[in-house]
Amino acid sequence: MADIFPGPDIFPAGMLPSLVEMMAKIIFIFTMNMGVFAPLLGWVERKQSALMQDRIGANRADILGFTVFGLLHTLTDAIKLLTKEDFIPEGADRPLHYLAPFIAVVPALIAFAVIPFGGQYDLWGHKTNLVIADLDVGVLFVFAVASISTYGSVIAGWASNNNWSLLGGVRVAAQMLSYEVAMGLALVGIFMVYGTLRLTDIGVAQENFLHWGIFLQPLGFILFITCALAENKRTPFDIPEAESELIAGYFTEYSGLKFAMFWMAEFLEMVTISGVLVALFFGGWQIPFVSGAALARLFGFLGPNLAQVAVMLVHVAVFWAKILLWIFILMLIRWTLPRFRYDQVMKLGWKIILPLSLINILVTGLVMLLVK
Amino acid sequence: MSGAYKKVNRGVTLTLWERLYFPEVIRGVLIAAGHFVPNFVSVTKAYFGGKPSDRKIMTIYYPEEKPVLPEAYRGKPVLVRARDGRGKCVACGLCEVACPPKCISIVGGQREDGTRYPVTYVLNGAVCIFCGFCEEACPEEAIVMSDRYEGLCEYDRKPMVYDKEALLVPEEKLTRRLDYIRRRMYGKWNY
Amino acid sequence: MSELRMDLHTEPMILSMGPSHPATHGTVRFLLKLDGEKILNCDTEIGYLHRAFEKHCENGTWTQAFPYTDRLNYNSAVQNNVAYALAAEELLGVAGKMPERAVYVRTIMCELARLADHYTNLGAATLELGALTAFLYFVEARELVWDLIESVCGARLTSNYVRIGGLASDLPEGFADHVKRVFATNREHWRQFDKLLTKNRIFMDRMRDTGAISAEDAIALGFTGPCLRAAGVEYDVRKANPYLVYDRVDFDVPVGTTGDNFDKYLVRMEEINQSLRIVEQLLGKLPKGPININDASVRNPAKEDVKNQIQSMIHHFKNTIEGITVPAGEVYVPTEGSNGEVGFYLVSVGGGKPWKCRVRPPSFALTQGVGEMVKGAFLADIIPTFDMINLIGGECDR
Repeated sequence: MADIFPGPDIFPAGMLPSLVEMMAKIIFIFTMNMGVFAPLLGWVERKQSALMQDRIGANRADILGFTVFGLLHTLTDAIKLLTKEDFIPEGADRPLHYLAPFIAVVPALIAFAVIPFGGQYDLWGHKTNLVIADLDVGVLFVFAVASISTYGSVIAGWASNNNWSLLGGVRVAAQMLSYEVAMGLALVGIFMVYGTLRLTDIGVAQENFLHWGIFLQPLGFILFITCALAENKRTPFDIPEAESELIAGYFTEYSGLKFAMFWMAEFLEMVTISGVLVALFFGGWQIPFVSGAALARLFGFLGPNLAQVAVMLVHVAVFWAKILLWIFILMLIRWTLPRFRYDQVMKLGWKIILPLSLINILVTGLVMLLVK
Repeated sequence: MSGAYKKVNRGVTLTLWERLYFPEVIRGVLIAAGHFVPNFVSVTKAYFGGKPSDRKIMTIYYPEEKPVLPEAYRGKPVLVRARDGRGKCVACGLCEVACPPKCISIVGGQREDGTRYPVTYVLNGAVCIFCGFCEEACPEEAIVMSDRYEGLCEYDRKPMVYDKEALLVPEEKLTRRLDYIRRRMYGKWNY
Repeated sequence: MSELRMDLHTEPMILSMGPSHPATHGTVRFLLKLDGEKILNCDTEIGYLHRAFEKHCENGTWTQAFPYTDRLNYNSAVQNNVAYALAAEELLGVAGKMPERAVYVRTIMCELARLADHYTNLGAATLELGALTAFLYFVEARELVWDLIESVCGARLTSNYVRIGGLASDLPEGFADHVKRVFATNREHWRQFDKLLTKNRIFMDRMRDTGAISAEDAIALGFTGPCLRAAGVEYDVRKANPYLVYDRVDFDVPVGTTGDNFDKYLVRMEEINQSLRIVEQLLGKLPKGPININDASVRNPAKEDVKNQIQSMIHHFKNTIEGITVPAGEVYVPTEGSNGEVGFYLVSVGGGKPWKCRVRPPSFALTQGVGEMVKGAFLADIIPTFDMINLIGGECDR
């Protein structure tokens, strides 16, 4: 009884700081994703592609003459999408048609829970671990959640009562299934090397610059990024929504905010993919050749606690900077390459990436045996 | 002269390097990045007051920046108002028949001094195809293609039907075009 | 498995691709019968852009047809102008008497138009395959070529430049320098486009062995131009039946082997280079002199003569009002357009109006091959195949 009704002392010792810490982390990640990346990536995509193609890009929306590099277009986009008619085609499966965009967007947000955006810090005697959920099966959780988002697209394709959407939905199902297998196997090498599935441990293990995932698992990295691009459904793997073939694929019949949710899901997936890439292959929050301890010594004049805070801030900043770099590269790829054909995507997934990832596992195992 | 039919090189046999997808992907991405970086630098510089001239960007900031039109440009057809204030048109009706979509209609009349003039001159801008045949047909250089391209589209067709007053433009403003058609189009030299 | 298939009721999916579909630019409709992603049958329906071109021409004078020919293949409008003018001049019997400069300038303009057309076509093809950046590099190149065309004709698309017996206007001052500047940038764009795509494995996989057609089939379907040459047939009107000054310039005609989309792509890429070469050669040789034929019954007289000489004035009025008097007869003159053979079949019964003005558009023959070329292929193969056909609605449907 005493356990269930603890009386006036609601929080066991140390729980309040933990709760505050947890809330802070959740709010931070949520604002970063929904408040910064989801709206901003639309702008980044427009501006970046424009500059790549010798154009200017969106630059007209202004408030009192201030265009702020065209950033206000994000706002106008939001207003437009909010006020647009929410169209449901005749004969559509209405509940599923409503449900699909939510299924698509939520997993992209949840997956970020296991990605560490900083290390462990000792702040005023309280151990702070900068990850929302430090699961010991972290990467598996990302896979599990990512595969749920597939349902969103498939259901959208099915529920729209449109042949183009159906074709798009079928393509999503096939593509996602094939690449999830390959993606999982591509990462096995990483788990073997670091001996853990926990993303925070992998992050700590990459403190030495030469132990970054990209150096230990170069082939695994190339395979993973290919699969990740395919999971993201962007060019060159955008066959489910290939606009010149299937009009808009599975979300042909979506408009307004529900359309925006698919759009957002795509961008958030891109952030998540970059996060996983950085956490597994690019040293997470680590700075090359500068260890956390060295950084703490550098900030030593602030006192032990404030120095830890400073180190934490630097690490978080480094992590997001790496994510931004990866988003930039993913966008470059998206705007430069032509798209595959449906059967070629399948062939690439099953006949090239899958065997290669198996070979990668074998070679990694052999090398590890020899080194030992 | 020489020159013959030549087989194009299909290059079907790719080297292993090219087969690998990745080198080509990186090459393509580098080309695109090669455009991005200088453009990014120059646009950022321009935003903070630097010189925008060194950018590769082709886009013209339209209402603020206007395109430089060549002399040959065919814009809205206009009637020339001579320096004495009268229109040059003598209502001969040649432009009316030369116009392929038949967008001009003229009612001619005579002034007290015996010269002819158009009582009404209506050019339907919604029908005009800007071919310039009226200019070619006119024996008096009274109708020319100006370089005006703005304000030619309306939400309604009524304001696009121009009458004489809407078409008359003083000769001083059309010297560039008049000079061009004499120099490049209808001189005696051209046959 | 086979038992399951017997129990399972399956039927092909009927899909109407177009007329409003992102890929069917130029407004065409494909009625597809699909088994999954495989195309069992493809019916092509054209005619959505029919504007009664022939009737328009027959209702105006011989000269008044020029603006309408612009709107056939609007990517290379000058070529249509030239084709029509050549046919009309043949009928008039003045074909051999054209001043040198006019013929040279016509050739230059034809090649510039070919450049613009190929840039558009290849760019649009990559756009629809998803490579947007390469598309915009060629759009830039085309933009510069259109600037050249605009500085000569006065308009980018609706050039209306050529006249029976000459040209509307002479080249502007400093044209050769302008061309030199533009071509330097164009070559740079070409190199980058080539680097982005030609050796790109994804692009090759999409283009290679899709939309292939044999030489016999291509001839049987009436293919001409790059699509025919891609199939390995050595036929180019510029070589086989030289018109203008094509027999005086040095250029190669690229020929493919299998007739698939990749060959068509390569042929067009090479033709861009050859067109650049032709223009540069011609600008070096460009003679000075008049641009109109010295025949009062055909050309427009100078404005000062119209005012001062009664004879010139009468000719001017008669030519404008009644049209140039063309003797009775019929003629067909083939020219090499960017897409293939563009030819005008003109019939005159005497008088100032064409009695019949029939154009042979290359797109029309090419479009009827689409169904043949995509049968048994994947849905996605329609995109590169249709792009390499380069259907121009204005030309195909007239």
